[in-house]
Amino acid sequence: MKLFKKNIPLAIVLVFGLVSLASYYVPNRMSEDYLEVMNAWENIVSAFGFFLGLISLFYAHYMKIRKKADGWGYSLFVYIGFLMMVIPAIISHGKQLNPDASLTWLGWAFRYLYNPLSATMFSILAFYIISTAYRSFRIKSLQAFVLFVAAFVLILGRIPVGQMIWDWALGFTKVTAGEAIDWIIGVPSTAGKRGIMIGVAIGAVVTSLKIIFGIERQYMGKD
Amino acid sequence: MKNTSILVSAFLILTSYSSFCAPKAGKAAAPSPIKMELKNFEALDFPYDKGETGLLKWDHTEELNDASFSVMISTISEKEGWIEADTFKAGEKTADKVNLPFWAFKKDKNKYAVPVELNNVLSSEIKQDVPFFAKVKIIKGKNSFESQTASAAARGNWFRADRLNNLLLFLFVSIVFFIIVSHAKKKSLFIRRIAGLDAIDEAIGRATEMGKPIFYVPGIGVMSQISTIASTFVLGEVAKKVAQYDSYIKVPHYDPIVMTVSKEIVKQAYTEAERPDSYKEDINVFISHDQFSYAANVDGMISREKPAACFYIGYFMAESLLLAEVGASIGAIQIAGTDVDHQLPFFFTACDYPLLGEELYAAGAYLSKEPMLVSALKVQDFGKLVFMISVALFSLLLIIGSKMNWQGLSSTLTEILKVY
Amino acid sequence: MKETIQKLLKIDRRYLFLLLTLSILIPILKPLGLPNKSISKDVQNVYNFIDSLPEGSTIICSLDYDPSTAPELHPQATAIVKHAFKKNIKIMVLTFIPGSTGLIDQLFEKLPAEYGKKYGEDYVILPYMANIVAVITQMNSNLYSIYEKDKDNTDLKSLPMMKKITNYKDIKGVVNITGTAILDFWVAYVGDKFGVPVMGGVTAISQVGYGPYLQKGQLKGLIGGMKGAAEYETLIKEPGKGTSGIDALNVAHLLVLALIIMSNLVMFFFK
Repeated sequence: MKLFKKNIPLAIVLVFGLVSLASYYVPNRMSEDYLEVMNAWENIVSAFGFFLGLISLFYAHYMKIRKKADGWGYSLFVYIGFLMMVIPAIISHGKQLNPDASLTWLGWAFRYLYNPLSATMFSILAFYIISTAYRSFRIKSLQAFVLFVAAFVLILGRIPVGQMIWDWALGFTKVTAGEAIDWIIGVPSTAGKRGIMIGVAIGAVVTSLKIIFGIERQYMGKD
Repeated sequence: MKNTSILVSAFLILTSYSSFCAPKAGKAAAPSPIKMELKNFEALDFPYDKGETGLLKWDHTEELNDASFSVMISTISEKEGWIEADTFKAGEKTADKVNLPFWAFKKDKNKYAVPVELNNVLSSEIKQDVPFFAKVKIIKGKNSFESQTASAAARGNWFRADRLNNLLLFLFVSIVFFIIVSHAKKKSLFIRRIAGLDAIDEAIGRATEMGKPIFYVPGIGVMSQISTIASTFVLGEVAKKVAQYDSYIKVPHYDPIVMTVSKEIVKQAYTEAERPDSYKEDINVFISHDQFSYAANVDGMISREKPAACFYIGYFMAESLLLAEVGASIGAIQIAGTDVDHQLPFFFTACDYPLLGEELYAAGAYLSKEPMLVSALKVQDFGKLVFMISVALFSLLLIIGSKMNWQGLSSTLTEILKVY
Repeated sequence: MKETIQKLLKIDRRYLFLLLTLSILIPILKPLGLPNKSISKDVQNVYNFIDSLPEGSTIICSLDYDPSTAPELHPQATAIVKHAFKKNIKIMVLTFIPGSTGLIDQLFEKLPAEYGKKYGEDYVILPYMANIVAVITQMNSNLYSIYEKDKDNTDLKSLPMMKKITNYKDIKGVVNITGTAILDFWVAYVGDKFGVPVMGGVTAISQVGYGPYLQKGQLKGLIGGMKGAAEYETLIKEPGKGTSGIDALNVAHLLVLALIIMSNLVMFFFK
């Protein structure tokens, strides 16, 4: 059992990890073909994965409805939503526009169902940003004060009215809001971001080595 | 070699024949009353590529000043005769301008080096090792001359010598990695406190006391992303503690493969905690592979089930705040970690314990305390040290180089640090 | 008194939501006509780049946004396409997000007719492709090895504008409008590696994250959020959805500032 659950998977990780790594240094067409095959395999495996996901989704919601668990009514929407997109897609053969540029069933479902639903979710972000800002943007330390000043300049400088306020209040400094923003984004913010990026990149290299050489293998379940 | 010369002679016969028959092919040769030889004109294979690029070289001589060049290419199978591949003026495209580092290509101002991407020039796709033919039309004032014909075959190469700097760095890091990891078992290493990871116990304990579930959200990454893999490490440890406390965990998924892997991990964790009977199949559920449908559903679950603790660990984009704010609104203890730097501010403001970038990668080691994993963290720190020293050193050298006008130093350093 | 004010700190967030709704809705219903004077350097750079391209050159527009980010990004894409059409620049549209195919159809429903442009001659829409890295890398050697047909299954090589296009050598620039990390791939794999100028259009939220790329010149220019779209519309003198959103944007931003200041004042004086 250990052979199938541990040794073979680890050997696969090691071999394919090293070969993929080597392909970066081997320009030959063979290495390109290898990467293409690997990509194709990844796509194939994830396509099967979707079936699995769909089964899990339907089963979980079916059980909720059957047991009349709390909020089981929402589970009905999973099936309704699924059918509302899948049936038009089948009827319209996956095309969104007719040859005369009018909308097909799928085109209609996409434009008037999927579009507004998706846009709604993203726009909720604006509401959450405002409540988070109100709740947690409190100046409790010197660092928080610096953060506050930076945020203040950025928010103000991003909008035309803010720029007018800036010019009126701070025009004497001869520094425009745009220049102040460019400095904040270009110097302290970029410096911080680079620091995190470098840390992340080094962490990624080490984690990759740990995975390729089977040192970190919790993702397979432990021994 | 012999084959090539036969092919060259066959080709020359063919082209001379076609110059009688085909006006199109003859047109290129028409305005060349005098034969002008390019010094050391040669066609070569372009090094370190997959075999679709040729390289033409010739010496710069004084008589070429003010001239312009038109590079002509053909193959034996090409029905269209000579095709113009490139045009440029004297002084351009010299060997020092080829985008290869000094250790892989000889830089010479007095030599022309013109890479020709054969697949772009020729209408039929060439296979490897097919010879191509090249000549150069030299245009000087109103006169134009044609060079001799040269031929070569573009070959797929086996090593990218231009990436030698990268390979050496990689080997160096790997050697350090193995040295440190192999010495791991001998002594325990100090790791600085990571508040976010220490808080895991507290969060699970609180959930158990309150009799409420724990949500573990692995984000919208796929299994090939390191942040997702790191998230599964943390999931294993969290699930084990949840099993020990006999609390209840829920893991909603965006990617079915990640779900399959997570199922295995959680099952294993329950077994290790000696509570395999508490494991349920519906701990891991697939939600949707659409970012905002996923966020909407998880938000719904959080507001209905009111978990006492929420973990957001993995790869997150715009849904970071959508999830964290809902969690905050129901008063859950929230621990978040991602390597997506521009989502960190959202987790910072809305969560109790954020893990900063690389701390996420360290989480597996920190929680499991396995010596080999912990020692790998040391490699990470060592990497950072090397990086800091090199940034300081190379910056200093570059400043000195530019102040003292040592162009050789500046260009050498830039090439050493460049990605090819 | 003190207690009442202190309660403000723990105000039900739904009141804040209501305030935000009003501050966005009112300016949309009844425009205030606030000016949009300033143009940021990064937007100006995108404009200058496209404006300076010779007539007849081709650019790639990789439109990778789905309906969620469309309110911010669709006006950007519209402005870019209008500008290109005005300058007689040909456009090759790609996408790596299945959700954006419908939006691309929507974008090209009416615009080409307005500018007298024809499909296949002035613009071409390629089908959705998965696996972005493999696709954009492969396109450096031969575009047709990936895209044989356009989105309507027409043979791509048969379209007149594709006659002179084989790979990135024939492309003057890439504009990637996206709410995802796809712009990073264009920068790393196409801009840095193959030297094609890459420009971006992103949501206001992710705009700050591209500072390092802009600083190094890896990104030639960047349009950020609805404000960026409004600026671009001002530059091409075609006010559209971006410009009409500027009032709401102004008021909402001021509201955020006012709330942050208020919560801090309350905390400072009454706690």
